[in-house]
Amino acid sequence: MKAAMDTLEQFVEKFKNAVDFQDEVQLTGDTNLKTLAEWDSLAALGVIIMFDMEYDKAIAGKDLAGCQLVSDVYKLIG
Amino acid sequence: MAQAIIRNVRYAGMATCVPRRILSNLKDCPPQIRSARERIVRNIGIETRRICSEWQNFSDLAFDAAERLLADLNWDRDEIDALIVVTQSPDYLIPATAIILQDRLGLKSTTIAFDINLGCSAYAFGLHVLGSMMAAGGIGKALLLVGDKAASVIEPLFSDAGTATALEYDPDAPPMYFDLNSDGSGYQAIMLPAGGHREPFGLQHAVPVKDDDGIWRSPTALMLDGPAVLSFSTQRVPSAVRSLLEFAQCPIGDVDYFIFHQANKMINETIRKKLGLEPDKVPCTLHDFGNTSGASIPVTMTVRIREALLGGKKKVLMSGFGIGLSWGGCIVDIEDAVFPELIES
Repeated sequence: MKAAMDTLEQFVEKFKNAVDFQDEVQLTGDTNLKTLAEWDSLAALGVIIMFDMEYDKAIAGKDLAGCQLVSDVYKLIG
Repeated sequence: MAQAIIRNVRYAGMATCVPRRILSNLKDCPPQIRSARERIVRNIGIETRRICSEWQNFSDLAFDAAERLLADLNWDRDEIDALIVVTQSPDYLIPATAIILQDRLGLKSTTIAFDINLGCSAYAFGLHVLGSMMAAGGIGKALLLVGDKAASVIEPLFSDAGTATALEYDPDAPPMYFDLNSDGSGYQAIMLPAGGHREPFGLQHAVPVKDDDGIWRSPTALMLDGPAVLSFSTQRVPSAVRSLLEFAQCPIGDVDYFIFHQANKMINETIRKKLGLEPDKVPCTLHDFGNTSGASIPVTMTVRIREALLGGKKKVLMSGFGIGLSWGGCIVDIEDAVFPELIES
C-alpha cells in the first residue's frame, strides 16, 4: 500500500533511510539540504526510488535540484 | 517499439573473459574517502571490479573468450560466416574492431565482420542483428562478441569484460523473441563529450573540472547523470519486460531466469521489485564484477547460472538498458549449449 498520506515526520524517517546518512542526524522540515554532507547524487538516487516505490510518484533529478529545504522535498509528494 | 521473432537460429554457446586484475572499491581508494566509499558500496552493491592491465583492451578479452568457445564447440573456423562486435571500446576509432578480430581469430576472408556501437543494452541488440542475418539465410555459424573496457581506478561503478556468443542456423531451433527500444532525447545522460567529431580533442580537455559533488573530473572522462539514468531504467525497463512477455505469450512464471544488465543495486532491485520477481530467479554479479556494460548479461550467466544452463532446457529473459538511451530484451530457450567456466586473462 502506498503511503500518500504520510505526515512530515513519517516522511522524514523514510527520507533518512533513502539518503543513508552515515551518522544520526536531526532533521526537520526547515533543515537546509545544503547543510547535509550526504546530500549528493547518491542521495538523489535513493530519494527518487523512495518516491517511486513508497508514493508511486516519478520525480526527476531536476525536481530535487529545485529543493532547498527538507519540506520542499516533502511537497513533491503532491 | 520494435518487436520481432527470430526462427531457425540456435543459441549454441557463450564464453566470458574478465581481466585477472581485481580492484576493491573499499581498499583501493584514498583513506580520506574510505567512509564515503563504504556508503557508496552499500548502496550500489559493488565491492570489487575487474580492470584491464595497461596492455589489455576489450578485444583481447573477447579474443580469449572466442578462442575458448570455438575450442569447446569444436567448430571449424572456416564454418564461421559472420563476426559482429558490439562495443564502445574499440581498439581504434577506425577501422572496426570486428575486422581486426576476423584476421586475429583466423577466420576466412569471406566472413561478414562489422561493429555495432552500443553499451549497456548491447546484448539483445547484438543477438537480434546477428540472428536476423542468419534467419535470412546464407550464414551457418556466427560469433557475437560483446563487452567493454570501461573500468577506472577513480570511479567505483564500471568493470571490464569481453564475451563471445555462438549462434548456429538450425531449422529445429525454438524461436527467440525480441523487444528493442531507443530514446535519443536522453543522449546526454551518459556520454563521452570530447574526442569525437562534434567536439574534437583540444588543449582545454586536459584541464579537470570540479563537479557538483566536489570531485575533479576530466572532460575526457565519462559523464553520467545518475538520477536521469535511474529514472529512465526504473520507469522503462519493467514495462518493457512485461511487453516482451506479452508479445512472446509467455507467462512470467514460465521464465527460469531473468538476467538484467547489472547497473547498480538500487536500479536492479527496484526493477526486480516492480516486476514482483523472487531473488533466486534474478541472478546478480554486481558485488564481485560491477557494471560490465554490454557484457553484464553474459557475465552473470557464466558466473551465476552456468551449471543450471548445462543441466537442461532453460527459458531465459535477458534485458539490457542504458547509454543511448537504449533498452532491449529477448527471451531465449537455451538447451545443449556450451558454457565454458569463467576465463581470467
